Order: sequence, then C-alpha cells, then structure tokens
Amino acid sequence: MHIVTVVRLVPDLLEEIQVNEQGTDIDREWIGVKLCEFDDHALEESVLIKEATGATVTAVGIAVEGMDRVLQSAVARGADRAVKIDCGEANPDSRALAKLLCEALAQLKPDLILAGVQTPEDLFGQLVPFLGALMGRPHASGVTGAQVEGNAVVIQQEYGAGRAARLKLALPAVLGVQSASQPPRYVSGTKLRQAIQGTKIETLSAAASAGNNGAVKEMRRPSRGQGAEMIDGEAEAVAGKIFDALVARGLVGGK
Amino acid sequence: MDSKPLVLAALMVLAASFASYRFFLRLRPMFSAPGIDRLDHIGERLWGLVPNVLLHRRLLMIRYSGILHAMIFSSFIVLFTAIIQAFGSGLIPGFSLAPVGGNSVIALLQDVFAVVILVGVGMAFYNRFVIKPARFKGSNNKDATIILLLITSVVVSMLLEFAFHIAAGNEPSAAWRPLSSAIAKLLVALGFDGERAAEAAHILYWVHVSVILGFLTYIPGSKHLHMFAAIPNIFLRNIGPKGQSRTPDPKAAHIGLSDVRELDWKGMLDLYSCTECGRCQAACPAYAAGLPLSPKILIMNLRDALIGEETAPARPAGAPAAGSNLEALVGSVISEQTLWACTTCRACMDVCPLHIEHVPKIVDMRRHMVEAGHVTPGIQDAMASFQQYGNSFKKPARMRAKWTSGLDFKIKDARKEEVDILWFVGDYASYDPRVQRITQTVARLLRKAGVDFGILYDAEQNSGNDVRRVGDEGLFQTLSEHNIEALAGCSFKRIMTTDPHSLNALRQEYPAQGTSYEVIHYTQLLLELLREGRIEKAANGKVTGVVTYHDPCYLGRYNNGFEPPRQIFAELGYQLHEMGRCRENSFCCGAGGGRIWQDDTGVTERPSENRIREALALGDATIFAVACPKDLVMYTAAVQSLAVEDKIQVKDIAELFA
Repeated sequence: MHIVTVVRLVPDLLEEIQVNEQGTDIDREWIGVKLCEFDDHALEESVLIKEATGATVTAVGIAVEGMDRVLQSAVARGADRAVKIDCGEANPDSRALAKLLCEALAQLKPDLILAGVQTPEDLFGQLVPFLGALMGRPHASGVTGAQVEGNAVVIQQEYGAGRAARLKLALPAVLGVQSASQPPRYVSGTKLRQAIQGTKIETLSAAASAGNNGAVKEMRRPSRGQGAEMIDGEAEAVAGKIFDALVARGLVGGK
Repeated sequence: MDSKPLVLAALMVLAASFASYRFFLRLRPMFSAPGIDRLDHIGERLWGLVPNVLLHRRLLMIRYSGILHAMIFSSFIVLFTAIIQAFGSGLIPGFSLAPVGGNSVIALLQDVFAVVILVGVGMAFYNRFVIKPARFKGSNNKDATIILLLITSVVVSMLLEFAFHIAAGNEPSAAWRPLSSAIAKLLVALGFDGERAAEAAHILYWVHVSVILGFLTYIPGSKHLHMFAAIPNIFLRNIGPKGQSRTPDPKAAHIGLSDVRELDWKGMLDLYSCTECGRCQAACPAYAAGLPLSPKILIMNLRDALIGEETAPARPAGAPAAGSNLEALVGSVISEQTLWACTTCRACMDVCPLHIEHVPKIVDMRRHMVEAGHVTPGIQDAMASFQQYGNSFKKPARMRAKWTSGLDFKIKDARKEEVDILWFVGDYASYDPRVQRITQTVARLLRKAGVDFGILYDAEQNSGNDVRRVGDEGLFQTLSEHNIEALAGCSFKRIMTTDPHSLNALRQEYPAQGTSYEVIHYTQLLLELLREGRIEKAANGKVTGVVTYHDPCYLGRYNNGFEPPRQIFAELGYQLHEMGRCRENSFCCGAGGGRIWQDDTGVTERPSENRIREALALGDATIFAVACPKDLVMYTAAVQSLAVEDKIQVKDIAELFA
C-alpha cells in the first residue's frame, strides 16, 4: 500500500498582500510561504492510514524555494519518503499541476493519492478532479476521513443540514481532504531537527506542457463597501439609534 | 538465669530482617536507576546541612510546625541514648552509659527531652486534628497519626520503665530524673513498689523495645522514611544553576520521562524523602487557581507508582501497573492536565524543607508528552508559531523591531556596530502592543542616560526559556542556536533585557552550550544609571502614591534579582509597601512555563487576580509595580477584570522615572 500526499506552498497571509505592478497577480517578492492547511490535513490523514495499515507515505511537492523544509516537516510528521518534482514551474495552476503530477506519479505508482481539498489560490478545488480525470481513477473531494478496506477506500463527506455520507471508492483513488479524522498532530522540534538532518529528498523531473490554461487578465483588491457609521453616546441613546436604523431599513416592525 | 539477651537478639534479628527487606524493596529501583552526579563540592553540600537541618530554616517558615519539628527532632537525638541503653543492656550484661554520664547528665537530659518530645507530639496532634492546615489535604493522615502514636508509646514506655525502676528502688540515676521520680512517687502511692515494681519495669522494658522495633519495621512504608532519607536528600540537593534545565542524555533511547523507573536515583530519593507536609501545595499558584496540580500529590503518586503493586496502596481495579509506558505514567499516574498546569515558578522547590525537585520531573514528563505529540491546542499553536517564525505571535521577524518606529531616534543595529549594551528585547516586549509602550519608555531612558546600546533587530528570536519548560527540547535547541549565532556576530560588553525569561535563558541555559555572556536585568542597569547620576530622579512631583512590587519568578527565585527594583523605589523616593508574599515567597502571576499560551480551562481563580486582591488588601498601595512584560500583560488584564482601575494601577518600573 503506497500513499502519495501532495503538499503545496501558499502565501502566508501574515501581512497585507499587494497586487503586483502589472495587476495580474499578487506581489510574491516579499511574501512568505507556508504549507497549505488543507494539505496539512491530507498529510495527517495519510499518516493515520499508515498507522492503521502499515502503508508507505510519500510526500510530493513542486521544487520551489521553501519546499525542502515542508517535505522535511512531512517526514517529521511520519511520511516515509520525500519527493520533489523539478519542472521549471514556480507556481503552476491546478490544471498544470495535475498534468505534472500525473506524469510524475507514473513512476511512484501510488494506490491512493491525497491532497488538500483546495488552496487559497485554487478556491474551486480543481486539482483533485483534474488529477482523477487525467488518471482515469475515481476521486472525491470534501473528505473528512478515510479508511482503507482491502482494495477500496471508505471516505466520509459532510453535507449541509447535518447530513453525512460514507462512500467506497476502488483503489487507486484520488481524495481531496477537507479535514483529517483528528487535528494534525504536533511535531516536536526534536523530530523536526532529525528530519532536517536525515531526510534524503528525491527529485523527479516532469515536463508535461501545461498547455494553455488561460491567464489572469486583471487582479485587484475587492472594492470597499459603504463606510460604517459609528454610533457613540450613552447606551440608551445608542440603542435608540440602532433601533431607528433598523426600522428605516425595514428590518424590524415600525410603529 | 538469663534468656533475655537471646530473646532480645532474636527479636532484633527478626525485626531487622523484616525492616531490611522493606527497605530493600524501596531501594531496589534505585540500584538500577540512571546515574546523576551529586557527589561534587562535598564541602558546600555539608555546609548546607547547617541551615537546612540544624537551623530548620525552611521548616521555621511555618513557625508552629517548625518549632514542633525542632522539638521532636532534637529530642530524638537525645533520646537515642536511651535506645542505646535499652538494647545495650539487654544484649550485654553489665552494659551501662554510666561512665559517660548515663546516670547523671544524660539521665537528666533524657527526662527533660521526654517532656519536650511529648509536648512536640502534642502540638503535632493539635495541628493535625484541631488546626487542620489546608496543606495536609491529600496527605496520608492515618500514617501520620500512627507515627505520632508510636513516638508517644516509645517515650511513655521509656518513662514508665524508669519510673518503675525508681519505684523498685534499684535505679542509680534516680536523683537525676525529676520527671521519672515524680511518676514513681505516684506509682508507689498506687501500690507499685519493691517486687511488683521490678516486675512491671521488666514488662515495660519489653514493651519499650518491641515498640521501637515495631517502629523500625513500620518506617520503610511510611512518610517517616524521611528519618533516613531527608539528610542524604538535602546533602545531595542540586547546587547547580537554578535556572538551568537538565539536558537529556543523548545516549538515552528517547527524550523525557515515560516510566517512573527512568528517574535517576536522586529523583527516586526525592520521592522517598517526601513527608507529605504540603508546603509546596500551599505555595503552588496552579493549585491555588483550582487546577488539578498539587506538587505534593504529584510526588506522592510518583512514589506510589515506584513502590509498585506489592506495597503501594491499592490502585483502582483495572489501572495499569506502575509506569511501564505513556498510558501508565503520564495519563494514569499523573494526568496530562496536571503537567500542563505547572507555571514552573519554583515556589514548591523553594519551600520544600527536603529540597525535593518537583519542576525538573514535571518538565521531563512534559518532554515525553511533547515527543509523543500530546500537547494542548494552545501549546501546539504557540510552538508551531515558534517553529515557523521564531516567536509566538505569528509575526514575521521583520516586524520584531517595529516598536522602534515610535521613537524619534534610531537604535543601533548591534549586528553592524559595536555597542556597550546589547539589548535582548524578547517576544512580549517586541510584539505585544501593551508592552511595546514600555519598551519604548526603556529605550528613551537609556538614550537620555547616554547609554551606548543596540538591538539585534530581526535576527533576534524567542530565547526558548519557556519553550524548554514546555518540554520541546529540540525547538529550544533550534532557537538557542539561532540566538547564539546571532550574538556571536556582535561586539558588546553586556547583554541587557527587560524580560526575566530571556534573562534566565541567556544567563543560565545558554552557558551549557558554551556561551559566557554577562547578562543583566534592566532594573540593575537603571539602578546603576541612577547611582551614577545619569538619570534624573523624579523631582517634578511625579512621586505620588504608595508602591507595592511583584517579584517575577524568573527574576527573583531563579536569578536572585530581589534588590535592584527595591533600591530603585528607594532612590526615586517611593514608599514601598510589601505584600505578604514577596521575594522568595512571591506568588506567580500564572504566565510562566508555557501557561500564557493556554486558556483558563479549569481555573477557579486566576493567580493574577488573587495577587491583585492581595495588593488591594494592603489598603494604601495605589501602584502595582512590575518588572516583567508577562506580568504587565497578566496584571493589567487582572485589574481590568476585577474592575479596580480606580484603586490600583499596574506600572512597569520604567514608568516610575521622571
């Protein structure tokens, strides 16, 4: 049983992000990067399956600055191997990434592929469906837990109104993880140090032409709404003004 | 005639064998325990027995208990002569202490101290059954009562034996035994004289030696084992730097304490020394806050786990055997909530009359939890932030020195220029908006005094002091290596910090990695500047109100920085009204050892609020002075939540200057 978990770096939103001069992307010059949180959950779920079944877990990412550290952290978490794909692309979109992964995964021959359900740069969560389609394998997104049973994987999905589903997919399958069965575990500084010193990161190259996936024509900050009205004064007066404002907008019954 | 020596010898062999076997059961784990070097500096170790044993210095911190202990302890030493007499005369016909004053001075002392010990035991009974100090909660009252009854029996049987001998008219020391003689008069009046008295004395002799031998066999399973363990335990105390954590053995199979049998032999002796007196419990801020931690019960539970099934009080059915894995030690014997409750404030260790080391054991068990990934969400969040950014605020390193933008001068970059004072700012002082104001105040004070100082800007990371106490040893190594490397590239005379936690790490933890900085707290530097006349004293009528001062744990108990803050108040002309719990007995604000990154789950009263109430109870203090960024945060919040901003103001010492 071989599980591949995709890890992606996303902008670290510690500070306000800026639009670049061309107005086509965020300014990546000064922005920090970190592991996508959904991928973090995918990694945790992979390790949980490993602990339940004895599977091997390989963390896979695109060779960009900062990826080595993320792969080392994945090993500290419990992944067995770390692989980076050298493709000359710094920030492929989900469709291009799916093609690159498809090519690289042919060499890794996984039984199960996990990735985060989406990233801040892939709000529609397209990586998993693209990858499933390219590989011709069953796929599911919004996964909140996965257990391997024989040649199949049983997954949980949560829908609205408190409904949940359990689905069985034949292996190999591709899963987009929304949350792991339990919160990502803490990885101690000691384990991290050991992984940094002892992890051998393998490199695969992939050259799949991503093709024309479209380009961003314009990126801008969301437009500001109407300014807020600050109401101050004594509590009773403030309450009165709020009441009047609600009545004026027809939100509560007037007189 | 005499079968006496044979019978006595047989009794002694029997009792000694049984007692030895019970001692052996206790000591057995110590023989296979990991080693620890506690036999260095013999002179210093011996000298420490004077205040700790002879003078009862820590015991007398609770006067009543200290006095009664001194009475029992001194009497025990004197009355040991009576034990020698009883067994010596029983085994060797003609044995007598008469040549060394056995029938004169020693006899008198025995009679006098029999009274002293009975009064002491009486006080102990009164303490246990009438006063009932809260610190005894959770202690084994039955065991203590049995011990007191045994001591009483030993002394009363001794007195009666002497009295019957005197009544029988065959006691050469009668003239030197006022009390025994008085009892003898009573016995004679009751018709015990001559042969009857001699017979009774004979019976009392056997009662006396039997009680002593019974006492001996009882001790190994009792808290009274401290009779044997206490003095060695004090002798073997830690005399190294208080603020230096133990570095895990690199050869060990894993980091941290997962099994009670992995304690080093001194750690085990700690457990056997515990008298369950509860002074640590009474001093513990976590216990006071209602959290599930009593340092006393922690030690008792570890002890019972170590003693194991054969002699420990029965554990509930289904509980695993003592300390064989995580589930058995951490999580069963000691709960995880107990370990996370500790602020590492060291109050327990500073009041323990036996110098038991609670905090290193807690940290060692935390290390085990951390390596197993068992941490609270708050700790996980903070540690992940340290791993990613080098601070707990999830702020980029570039923003570490952002507080300097509020100054109208540029602070030197110590990475590029030589400085006199390298200011290690610390996380809270750098990033917390409530503390940044104070950090700027300190900068202006230094500037005004013409101090040549600089900071590391974004090369500084958290010192790792509390990370190490949370139990993440690897992360501490990473942070400390980073800071040591940053400091190695700088040229400075001294390091100064406003943060006691950073002070402790740089002064006491880093030297284990080969550094040798001179590290001072800003209170010391400000005092120097005051005395050199480089800072004006507040001559502008700013000095109003009475000050009370809170000693930070990591400045006071850990680094003995008690005096400079107080001398600053005096220099500035403030009247200082001390709280009852000050200096070594200062009460922790509740933030240390990683507590500041956790929520208040289970807290019935925040230690910080408890402390503010204490300050308010002084009646006249309107300024609550602090000298630690975490204190500023904790106490400002406490004053707000108690809604007493109009009665008392939390101020950093730096704010008291003109």
